[in-house]
Amino acid sequence: MYTELLHALPNVLGFSNFAAVVIGVIAGIVVGAMPGLSATMAISVLVPFTFGLDPLVALGLMAGIYNGAMYGGAIPSVLLRIPGTPAAVATTFDGYPMAQRGEGGYALQVAVVSSSIGGIASAFALMLLAPPLSKVTLLFGPSEVFWVAVFGLCSIIFLLGGNPVKGLLSACFGVFVSVVGADPIYGSDRYTFGFLELLDGISIVILLVGLYALPPVIDLLEVPLKTDTDTNRLGTEPIWRTLPRMMRFWKTWLRSAAIGIWIGILPGAGGSMAAFMSYNEARRSSKNPDDWGKGEPEGVAASETANNADTASALIPALTLGIPGTAVAAVMLGGLLVHGLQPGPMLFRNNPDVVFGFMWQFLFGAILLVLLGGSLATNSFARLLNLPRPLLGAVIIVLMLIGVYSINGRMFDVYLMLGFGAIGYLMDKLKFPLPPVVLGLILGGFAEENLRLALRIGRGDWSVLFANTVSQVLVLLTLAVIVGPIIKRRFFKKDEARG
Amino acid sequence: MSKLFNKAALVGAIIMAAGAAHAEYPEKPISVIVGYSAGGGTDVMARTTAPFIEKYLGEGTSIVVKNMPGASGQIGITEVANSDPDGYTLGTFNLPGMMARTLDREADYDRDSFTYLGNVVNDPNVIVTAKNSGLDTVDKLIAAAQENPAAITVGMSSLGGDDHFMLIKLQNATDTEFTIVPFPGSAPARTALMGGHVAMGILNISEVANFQDELNVLGVALEERSEFAPELPTLAEQGLNIVNGSMRGIVAPKGLPEDIEAQLTAAFDQLADDQEFIDAMKATANPVQVVTGDDFKALTDELYDLAAEVWETSPWN
Repeated sequence: MYTELLHALPNVLGFSNFAAVVIGVIAGIVVGAMPGLSATMAISVLVPFTFGLDPLVALGLMAGIYNGAMYGGAIPSVLLRIPGTPAAVATTFDGYPMAQRGEGGYALQVAVVSSSIGGIASAFALMLLAPPLSKVTLLFGPSEVFWVAVFGLCSIIFLLGGNPVKGLLSACFGVFVSVVGADPIYGSDRYTFGFLELLDGISIVILLVGLYALPPVIDLLEVPLKTDTDTNRLGTEPIWRTLPRMMRFWKTWLRSAAIGIWIGILPGAGGSMAAFMSYNEARRSSKNPDDWGKGEPEGVAASETANNADTASALIPALTLGIPGTAVAAVMLGGLLVHGLQPGPMLFRNNPDVVFGFMWQFLFGAILLVLLGGSLATNSFARLLNLPRPLLGAVIIVLMLIGVYSINGRMFDVYLMLGFGAIGYLMDKLKFPLPPVVLGLILGGFAEENLRLALRIGRGDWSVLFANTVSQVLVLLTLAVIVGPIIKRRFFKKDEARG
Repeated sequence: MSKLFNKAALVGAIIMAAGAAHAEYPEKPISVIVGYSAGGGTDVMARTTAPFIEKYLGEGTSIVVKNMPGASGQIGITEVANSDPDGYTLGTFNLPGMMARTLDREADYDRDSFTYLGNVVNDPNVIVTAKNSGLDTVDKLIAAAQENPAAITVGMSSLGGDDHFMLIKLQNATDTEFTIVPFPGSAPARTALMGGHVAMGILNISEVANFQDELNVLGVALEERSEFAPELPTLAEQGLNIVNGSMRGIVAPKGLPEDIEAQLTAAFDQLADDQEFIDAMKATANPVQVVTGDDFKALTDELYDLAAEVWETSPWN
């Protein structure tokens, strides 16, 4: 296998194949940076055009876009508190406060270096460990995946913010939104009110754009003269000066890359869950957890490493088993099929040059991210903020509308997004936290579907949920996440009392 | 009087222009509406078929594939049913799914809403079992199912699809009962089988061809061995006469002018013997079976009746 890997390399370095990766990364960063446009969308738009292209050119573009977009999403997260992609929500927590402090440039540099490290780790996992890691995927049946979802939901209790009641209400709203659409087992309509457009459920992108992008834009327009991000003080030191400062994040990079790769190989969860979980884990093991959410660069590092670390690894189950780990990987599978590359164990035997070439392209895409992203983002995109605020707001609104419309090509989605925008605006004013809504939507549906499949496998017997070791370990981890902080708080209180 | 004459002349000119245009069909690009997103199985079928249809319709023909995804293809096919029957809007049509949707939900179309041009793909069902299930022959599987009703879990994609009807046929033919586990698609069902989380699975031949070492493929629900994967035995060879599968084809709105219908049907007819086409389809996991015109309509009727019968006796939602 490793000789085949090396065999594929010269071809990848051919001019057009390499240029495709470069163009893909740049396009990905741009797409990711625009609120409303996501990697999934960019690649689905691309797929029909790739029919006439050489497979490696097509795949290089996709690999580049995927890597680029996962970083690009960080740019508006940091500068405007608008996540460019669903996976960049956790980047807003610390990235935006940093920008408000005038450290936006540094935040973007941390983001690009972390993204690149995550992407490189993920590409290596795909190149070297795809067959064994796909065995791990097989261990996770419906009941195990259900527990992963529960673990995810529990481990982000911290997202509830200062007011747990409001946080829980937000999470419940997210879970409620996940219920809309066809029932996952019987296919009967739930809360669709006869609209065919609602049958597939509510797309996370529509919710995200409405909730997250509209309120800040209204804010922008409400206070035209407000200047909270001073672009002149973006802190754009050259990256080689800031790089040594970042070296202290190595533990976070390692941990977050591992979490991202793991979430990537589990089908369905995707980059946002990876970013949330790695943010939470990094915060828990930090010496100063209270600084988090107030502009701790390590938070940006954790989130950005993880959301890039699930890119290539999401392709492990996609290539070997035909099940995509993320929505983007699902679209990519389509792109592969177009070129007659059918997923499965045979793929590696029948088309080694293309498959291994694709893996190299992921690696190069991740490396190119630092070179292209570093200069592009800090030098060009940050300038966006120099635009007069009414103009900036208008540009963002146009992008949002185009982005949401182009998901399925229908106005219904645009109206839905505007509806969520109104809800988001109210929630923002009433100080309801928004991240639990996003997570509730992603993990709620995921948990429901797998719980019901597991119970059908067990023919209604709940013990099926605890039947094997993987489930039991996940249950214990979940308990540890819930009980751990309570115990910790007890001990701390005793210490304080003694002191 | 001259006014009337002018009008008559105008009408005559329009008729003549229309007649001329007719003779030259197609004089503008033909759209094929695909009810699924780009890169899906149906989309790839449409895009792979398009250049061949262009070839057979003659020089200068151009076909544009338009994706209108949503509601398991229902949004796209409804659009096709409501389009003008001028030969410039066609659409992909999946069986038995499109017919089952007219039963299990309110649909704005029925089986009489279309002009049936050509079915292109027949992806037969296969019965597979997990390696760890020990059920490596059809006889063992049926014996186990008869001994212990509903004990065997069957992974497949959603209810009301070809997999589901295949299982119903199997249950009726062998007097058995299985527990259905409807995954959100075939790939997750296949993965659950490979991991041993369900014992048996109903998939399609294109979905197992690349996974023969990872699963026990018991038999294919086709009269004769499929050219797509001739190494796989049929169920009929093992004494189980069940034929079922998933079909994908192309239809037009009802009321298509007869000459255009004839032209299009003839183009589809030529696909059947085009080896280049069959190879291109095989490379994208689409086993070819061309059925055109009235035969295609009859096939749809047959599958509708089957779906209606199942819906009568055991509705799935």
